Amino acid sequence: MLELRDVDAAYGDIRVLSGVTLAVGTGEIVALLGPNGSGKTTLLTSIAGLLRPRGGTIRWEGEDLATVPAHLVVERGLALVPEGRRLFGGMTVEDNLELGAFAPRARRHRAEGFARVYALFPDLRERRRQLVRSLSGGQQQMVAVGRALMTNPRLLMLDEPSLGIAPRLVVSIFAALAEINRAGVGVFLVEQNVQAALTLAHRAYLLESGRIAGQGRAADLLHDPHVRRAYLGPLAVRT
Amino acid sequence: MTAARRERAWAIGILAGLGGLAFLPLVARRDDVLNFVFLILLSITLAQSWNIVAGYAGQVNLGHAAFFGLGALLARSLWIGGTPIVLAMLAGAALATSFALVIGAPAFRLRGAYFAIGTLALGEILRTTVGNVLPEISTLPTATIAGYRLAHRYYLALALAAVSVVTVAALAGSRAGLGMQAIREDEPAAEASGVGALRLKLTALALSTGLAGLAGGLFGYYHISYYPSHAFSPTWTFDALLMTFIGGVGTLHGPVLGAILYIVLKEYLAVRWVDFHLLIFGALFIAIVLLLPGGLVQAATRGRRLFARGEV
Amino acid sequence: MNVLAQQLVLGLLIGGLYGLAAAGLSLVFGVMKVLDVAHGELIMLGGYGAFWLVALFGLDPFAALVLVIPLALVGGGLLYSGLFSFVVRADEETRVKNSLLIGFGLALALHALAVQLWTADERSIVTPYGGAVIMVGELAIPLVRLLSLLLAFLLIGGLHLLLARWRWGKAIRATAEDWQAALLTGIDVRRAYLLAFAIGTALAGAAGTLVSVGYSVSPSIGLEWTLKALIVVVLAGLGSMIGTFVGGLVLGVAEAASAAVFGGPYREVVGLVIFVVVLVVRPRGLFGK
Repeated sequence: MLELRDVDAAYGDIRVLSGVTLAVGTGEIVALLGPNGSGKTTLLTSIAGLLRPRGGTIRWEGEDLATVPAHLVVERGLALVPEGRRLFGGMTVEDNLELGAFAPRARRHRAEGFARVYALFPDLRERRRQLVRSLSGGQQQMVAVGRALMTNPRLLMLDEPSLGIAPRLVVSIFAALAEINRAGVGVFLVEQNVQAALTLAHRAYLLESGRIAGQGRAADLLHDPHVRRAYLGPLAVRT
Repeated sequence: MTAARRERAWAIGILAGLGGLAFLPLVARRDDVLNFVFLILLSITLAQSWNIVAGYAGQVNLGHAAFFGLGALLARSLWIGGTPIVLAMLAGAALATSFALVIGAPAFRLRGAYFAIGTLALGEILRTTVGNVLPEISTLPTATIAGYRLAHRYYLALALAAVSVVTVAALAGSRAGLGMQAIREDEPAAEASGVGALRLKLTALALSTGLAGLAGGLFGYYHISYYPSHAFSPTWTFDALLMTFIGGVGTLHGPVLGAILYIVLKEYLAVRWVDFHLLIFGALFIAIVLLLPGGLVQAATRGRRLFARGEV
Repeated sequence: MNVLAQQLVLGLLIGGLYGLAAAGLSLVFGVMKVLDVAHGELIMLGGYGAFWLVALFGLDPFAALVLVIPLALVGGGLLYSGLFSFVVRADEETRVKNSLLIGFGLALALHALAVQLWTADERSIVTPYGGAVIMVGELAIPLVRLLSLLLAFLLIGGLHLLLARWRWGKAIRATAEDWQAALLTGIDVRRAYLLAFAIGTALAGAAGTLVSVGYSVSPSIGLEWTLKALIVVVLAGLGSMIGTFVGGLVLGVAEAASAAVFGGPYREVVGLVIFVVVLVVRPRGLFGK
């Protein structure tokens, strides 16, 4: 399980996170909600090891990640699907997925990984020889989730997986996340589509201006007046 | 002392030192002493001119030799043709600056390393072309050699070094200089706050190449004979770069200290170990870039801090 | 007409070496975002290395490649660990600038070292078949240069396969595209940098060997070869090694054509002019994407 305690993070002099404390239990789906610029992406990149927090501790299954380099965080079973997908556009779907299984532990489960990803997203099997660049946004997001799954994670973190994707594909990606979770993989989700996120998640945290402003069971938050006003108001129309 | 006051103190100190050197020809009986100091003075000018674009505007110009070469070429031809040397040097500087302004706008479309390699290529184009058009060695007419006076060259070098120091000192304290430093630190941010980046970079380049052109003219005035393309050799750029970085880029006194150290060490090592001096300079330079990006100046500051802490 | 055709053929032959020289630089620049201006000096060292192997052990120069390449690979690894690993810690803009400065210091030191070790004279490797010429119609094709072109092509093809098929080859390409995303898939990016730099140096060593057989080396050829490689990289863009090879051939032929039109001494200028024009018309363009 993932535990953050009093995490501070900054870019240069600009402080982005202040004293963030949160936890994601084994096999849990937790959503992190908050307005643009509240520090959600920073939080995920800090956990993934791309950014070193200024203070506080990030623990994963009891181990402090402070000195673990990013590529070994993946090896420990924490995978991030980054904002904007960040795929290797000049390579094929298959190569992208294979790179997901680069670390030794993941490589041992390479065959299962491919089977699992192609079962979740049958589209990708047909397009496995295609360059990622030529795929639609939704298909690319499937590759991104697939690549992260190939690392054989115990916790899958996703940064805005529904961004810029056709609604029909958003539905299938969220369905895939539920499916992945049923296999015992935890999900930590940053999402603008609050309705969808709260429907999928067990619990959620609210992040505002770099601080945790609230938390609760997803079902409760979905009916919380503050949440409905601040997060669902304009977005409810979109979904 | 504040940084600005310290810079002013340095400027006064350096100028006083240069003033003192004015008496050297009266004292020194031997030409090799004057030749040696001449070399240092020429190097100070060259390093200081390079420092304007690199240290203040933050652009690594690897084609600096082109401007030195243009100044040398025109000044020497005019001078041999009968023009007074100062006028000839000014004409050389004007040519260098004009060329800089022509290539400046397109060159500054390039950023960072692209500017560096683009200017390097430009310098090489000029060097090769000059080498092709003027393949013959350029030697002074016999009559001129007979009337050759080293002291004239020496005083001109002294004056030029003083001009370069005053130019950089004036620039560093001016609004334009501050704008250049803003560009060096963060160009988009500087532009956003109303600094006209291109205009300032062109100003820096014009000043820098003008000084380089003058230095080139002095070089053409000093040497009895050389291949015209030699004045375009990238060595001039690399020397300026080494001296500036060893001393401390973006400061007034860094290039001066760097030039002195560079020439003294080079001459000393060249006598002792012939070709090893370049090996040593290469290694020294790498060490400075990695460990002391601020050069000798930064080392001195650190040393001072350590010393101050030790005393308390 | 025949003179021109002969010139163009010779241009094509040296163009293959331009391509090989550029491939290493392109790999290092593309993956590490580091501009190694000492690449030409590495080529020069490769040339002298081969020269030594030939002189000491009486090896055939082409066979010497079998030793030069692994030696250069190790040398490149050391150079990365000792110098460039410090450069890649900075953000990308500082990285490019610092690498330029470091490369410059390195070039200076290697040049001085070569002068010490081998004097400033030009040298080339002499082989029993060095004077052999293949006649195609009225065109004379020097055998060693033809072999060099073929070997350059084979090496580039090998590199292409390495990057396309090998696990770490794919990791290197992934790192070039997006190093943070590469980290997120579990790739040790530092290791990818090390490999890219070592392979780039090995290519430089191979290029140097071929240069010393068909042409000549001296301690001062570094800058010239760095510029040739840079020109090709700018012409061909990053990402495709085959494209880089073709870019090298284009430069070789363009130089030969211009030498035929404007006279021999101007052959150097043409490449540089192409380079400056391409850079200015597409600033960062051909480099970036």
